[in-house]
Amino acid sequence: MTEKISKIIDRSIDLKPFVSEKDDEMIVCRCEEVTKGQVREAVHAGMYTLQEVRKYLRTGMGLCQGQTCGKLVKKIIAKERGIAPMDLASAVGRAPMRPVEMAVLANEKKEG
Amino acid sequence: MKRYDLIVVGAGPAGLSAAIEGARRGLTVAVFDENAKPGGQLFKQIHKFFGSKEHKAKIRGYDIGAELLESANELGVDVQLNATVIGLYPLKEVVVSDEKEVIHYKADTIIVATGASENTVNFKGWTLPGVIGAGAAQTMMNLHGIKPGKRVLMLGSGNVGLVVSYQLLQAGCEVVSVIDAAPRIGGYGVHAAKVARTGVPFHLSHTIIEATGHDYVTGVTIGEVDKNWQIIEGTEKQFDVDTICIAVGLSPMSQLLKMAGCEMVEDPSKGGTVPTCDAYGETSVPGIYVAGDVSGIEEASSAMIEGRISGIAAAAYLGYIEPSELEEEARVQELSLEALRQGMFAPGKRGKAIKNTDEGYEISQTLLTKGYMSEKEVVRYPGVKKVKGIHPVIECSQNIPCNPCQDSCPKNCIRIGENITALPVFDENTTCIGCGMCIASCSGQSIFLVDEDKEDGYTYITIPYEFFPLPVKGDKGVALDRGGSEIGPAEVMEVKSLKAFDKTHLLTMRVQSAVGMGARFYKQMKEVYVND
Repeated sequence: MTEKISKIIDRSIDLKPFVSEKDDEMIVCRCEEVTKGQVREAVHAGMYTLQEVRKYLRTGMGLCQGQTCGKLVKKIIAKERGIAPMDLASAVGRAPMRPVEMAVLANEKKEG
Repeated sequence: MKRYDLIVVGAGPAGLSAAIEGARRGLTVAVFDENAKPGGQLFKQIHKFFGSKEHKAKIRGYDIGAELLESANELGVDVQLNATVIGLYPLKEVVVSDEKEVIHYKADTIIVATGASENTVNFKGWTLPGVIGAGAAQTMMNLHGIKPGKRVLMLGSGNVGLVVSYQLLQAGCEVVSVIDAAPRIGGYGVHAAKVARTGVPFHLSHTIIEATGHDYVTGVTIGEVDKNWQIIEGTEKQFDVDTICIAVGLSPMSQLLKMAGCEMVEDPSKGGTVPTCDAYGETSVPGIYVAGDVSGIEEASSAMIEGRISGIAAAAYLGYIEPSELEEEARVQELSLEALRQGMFAPGKRGKAIKNTDEGYEISQTLLTKGYMSEKEVVRYPGVKKVKGIHPVIECSQNIPCNPCQDSCPKNCIRIGENITALPVFDENTTCIGCGMCIASCSGQSIFLVDEDKEDGYTYITIPYEFFPLPVKGDKGVALDRGGSEIGPAEVMEVKSLKAFDKTHLLTMRVQSAVGMGARFYKQMKEVYVND
């Protein structure tokens, strides 16, 4: 367990230099229109976890809430960092778990 | 705040089963589902289920769904639709949006049965309209009666890819190919065989390079991959398609559990992020349970059992039943679950190359790469024997948990035994009366009735047929072999449609004796006449 944690937060490791790839232009998060190249660059800019990339690029923050791109973004981050995707924690789950219209969200009824 | 003894999130097979067991034991139960229709995936599953009687084998998914819904209603379960759970908190507070307002509920136990969502893959052009999930195709066809497209390429040869390919064919779409990056077909051989015999080619070790088209998909380029999953240059193939279906696995929709503070693990064998739970589905938060795909990807039959177990466990947690009752009742369910988790496709064996069946028969390699068995391979198996007169030919060659054929025969011609993954054996010392019940009972559509002695020079073959328009007696068409190649003229001698066959029609065709052991599908020629 300790080994795993150190792997996740270890920011001292040297990433290989960023080299652009031919499919960098490909969109991975379609809700927020983020490309593979942007995710790769974000890792090189220091965003090492799914959560950090999410806050930096908004991947997984759109309509599908990462249901489509979560695994794909994870794979890209893991590859850039040279670790297994399963060593990266999933993004934090927060309410509202699904897209809700503001009018509905504002219409809160305490007594169900 | 309105309180329930049990709140179930998700009205699919697991959720409804859980709600029923809870309500049966006296709990007040509410089920919330974000969809407009209940049943989860069940109402899209128009095929007959595998398993044994206790698993509702040979019953179609939507009938199982209707049955569950009826039980839930009878027991007074409050099933709320268009009710999206947008938050779940450690103190068992459930926040629901019903499209008008946000409502808070409280429960003493919670069962999360949210199921799974489809994985996708990235390739050039994957965001073009026309690239859809196999589940989406199923929803369009089976719930809304809409054809997803005219010409379809299926990516993924697991059971979902195979079953949906067959349903696309039933809906009248053309499936240009089923492809998979893996070197072997991932799903049941019988599912592959029923697709292959209609003439759909398989391309294993292939993946999509690019979807082409300007405003929507008009074509797809695939290519062969090497051992490192890299495209081998020069192997590119192009198809004109308007739809690309993606069936590359599922991910548990477990975010609510993470939010509720349950301990989570990353488990690739379960499809992604899942909560840790005990044998009853209880997570690290006492009183919060999981059941079905959200706790690890399997299928609807096991989801129903897991649902039942968690429902019973919730009743025990609240003191509605004694702990001893839980143990006893859960044991029965666990045995039933164990039975489903046996055989070649058991959870631990996924993706492994298996050479022989449990009985020692060699596995057909053409079945794994082309989707059908050669005539030479078919005769290896104990369900295929050459006898005089009408008799079943059971082309079942993999150990899968399924046994309805055994019970369907009134003459006890078919034997599987206690172990439901065993291959069916045709007992040549019994007398087949040609009733066809075995054909209709076979969820894999791999049983045929063959009679080589009825008429000189001809063989009569009865096949399961689930396509419209239904041919009628006297129709002349073409016999296709297991790989879908035309092998000679065929004449329809009879089409039987009995209620007991549950919408599987039994089509008897007459072909020349020489091709009798090869002919396994009937192709109508009517369309050709119409065009003329």
